[in-house]
Amino acid sequence: MRRMSEPTPTAREVDILLELVRARYGQRLTAAQLEGVRRGVTAIVEQVAALRAVRLTNADEPVQRFAPFRADE
Amino acid sequence: MNPVFRPVRELSAAVRARQVSPVALTETFLERLERLGPRYNAVVTLTRERALRQAREAERELAAGHWRGPLHGIPYGAKDLLAATGAPTTWGAAPLRTQTFDADATVIRRLEEAGAILVAKLAMVELAGGMGYRQPNASFTGPGISPWSADAWSGGSSSGSGSAVAAGLVPFAIGSETWGSILSPAANCGVTGFRPTYGRVSRHGAMALCWTLDKLGPLALTADDCGLVLAAIAGPDPHDPSAADRPFSYDAGDPTARRFRFGVLRGVADGAEPAVREAFARSLDTLAKVGTVEEITPAELPYEAVTRTILFAEAASAFEDMIESGAIAGLTAPEDHYTAYARDAILAKDYIKALRLRALVMREADRLLSRVDALVGPSRASVATPLDREFRTAAPVTGDVMGAIGNGAGLPAIAVPNGFSDAGLPTSLQFMGRAWEDNTILAAGRAWQAITDWHLKRPSVG
Repeated sequence: MRRMSEPTPTAREVDILLELVRARYGQRLTAAQLEGVRRGVTAIVEQVAALRAVRLTNADEPVQRFAPFRADE
Repeated sequence: MNPVFRPVRELSAAVRARQVSPVALTETFLERLERLGPRYNAVVTLTRERALRQAREAERELAAGHWRGPLHGIPYGAKDLLAATGAPTTWGAAPLRTQTFDADATVIRRLEEAGAILVAKLAMVELAGGMGYRQPNASFTGPGISPWSADAWSGGSSSGSGSAVAAGLVPFAIGSETWGSILSPAANCGVTGFRPTYGRVSRHGAMALCWTLDKLGPLALTADDCGLVLAAIAGPDPHDPSAADRPFSYDAGDPTARRFRFGVLRGVADGAEPAVREAFARSLDTLAKVGTVEEITPAELPYEAVTRTILFAEAASAFEDMIESGAIAGLTAPEDHYTAYARDAILAKDYIKALRLRALVMREADRLLSRVDALVGPSRASVATPLDREFRTAAPVTGDVMGAIGNGAGLPAIAVPNGFSDAGLPTSLQFMGRAWEDNTILAAGRAWQAITDWHLKRPSVG
C-alpha cells in the first residue's frame, strides 16, 4: 500500500545544498543570481520531497533501459 | 493557385498534377520567409541553395513520372536543433551561433528521402528552454512573436516552427517537445501540433535536452497534414536506440465514421485563464457530436515532480560542459545565466526515485487511457504571454498535469485550435492518447477539425 504525506522541505536542507552550489560556482555568481539559485534549490527540495513521500517496494524498478553490449551483434 | 495557407495535402495534389512546380513553391516560401520571417523572429537561417537544389531535383523526378509521396516537392522548415549540412545549427544559443554538423539529422534525411524541401532553420528558445528560462526573450534571434499579435509570444520552445506555419511562411515545420515545446507554440500560434509517442521518431542528430523525454514532431495547418509528415519521419533508426521498431502507417480514413470516448481529468481546466476555460467548456459540448465525454480521476501521484526531476537532472547532465565552463553566461535570458546551477542539488537517489515513480505514472496513465480513446484538456492554460512578461507569472496558472503525465509517460498528443480570447489570441485543445495510439490521436484531431473551423482562421499577415 502506497501512502503519501505532505512534503516537508527544510530550510536547513536548502542551506546545505545551496552551500554546495556556492562552493562550486559561487565565484561567478552575483548576490542577486545567488538568490535566484536559492529559489531554485528551494523548489528542487520541495519537488524531491514529494517524490520521497511516496513509498515504493523493493520490486519497483526504475524505468531505465540497460543492455549488455557486443560490437559484433 | 496561391499556395500560401494551403494544407500539405492540397499542395501535394497540385504538385503531383503539375499545377504548381516545386521550384515555384520553394521560391514563394523563401520570399515569404525572407520578407516576413523577421517580423516574427521566426527564422535563423534560410537554406536557399539546398532548397533550390532539392526543388529542381523534385521537379525533374515529377516530370519523369516518379512521385515519392505526399511530401514530394513540399517546402518545410526545421527547428534549429536539427543538424542539417550546409547551414549552422545553433540550438537558439548565442554561444553556438556558428556550430555546424557534417551529417543531417535522421528526420532531415527522411524528409529529403520523401522529397520534402528544407527551406529554413527556424528559431527556437535557447537550448530548448533547458536552462530554465522564464520569459519570451530567450533566444539570440529575439523573442518569438505570434502572428496573431505583435505583442504576444509564439513559443516555446519551437517558437519559429509555430509562427512560420501560422504566418504561411512554410506549409509545415518540425519541432521538438521535452515538456510542452510542440503543444505550446501550436497553441500560441493557432496551428496544429503533434507530439508523437516517445520512440516513434528518431532523435539522431537532434540536440539532446533530456534523453528520456525528447520527442520530434510536426506543426502544420491541419491534423491530417501532421499525419502525412509523421508517416515520413517515423520508424526505427540504428543511430537512436530509443527509436522503436514499431511500424507506423498513417490511417487517413474518415475520423467521423467512429464514435470516440473522451476522458477529462477532474479539474484539468480549473487553473486556466477565463478565455481558455470558456473555450474548453464549449469544446466539450462540441465533442458530443463525435463521442462521449466522461470525467476521470487519476491516482494521487506527484506527476509534475517526477517529470520535472527527470528533466532537470538529465538537462544538467546534457549541458554539463556549458554549465561547468560558465558558457551559459553567454545566453540571452538573464535567468539562463544561473538557474541551472541549482540542479546540482538533485541527488542521484532522487533522480532514481523519479525513474522508479515513472513506472507508476506510466501504468496509471495506461490504466486511464485504456478506458478512453483520448484525454482532452487545454493545450495551454493561458493564451500567448505578452512579450515583456514572465510566463510563469503572467497568468493564474496552476500546474500542467496532462503535460507531466504525457511527457513523463511518453504519450502522443495533438494540439488543435479551439477559439480566441477577447484580445484575438488563439486558444487550443489537446487530445492525448495511449502509447503508440498516434493514429487514434490524429483521428481525434481530424474529427475535431471536421466539425469545427477554428483551424481555418488566419492572422492578418500580408
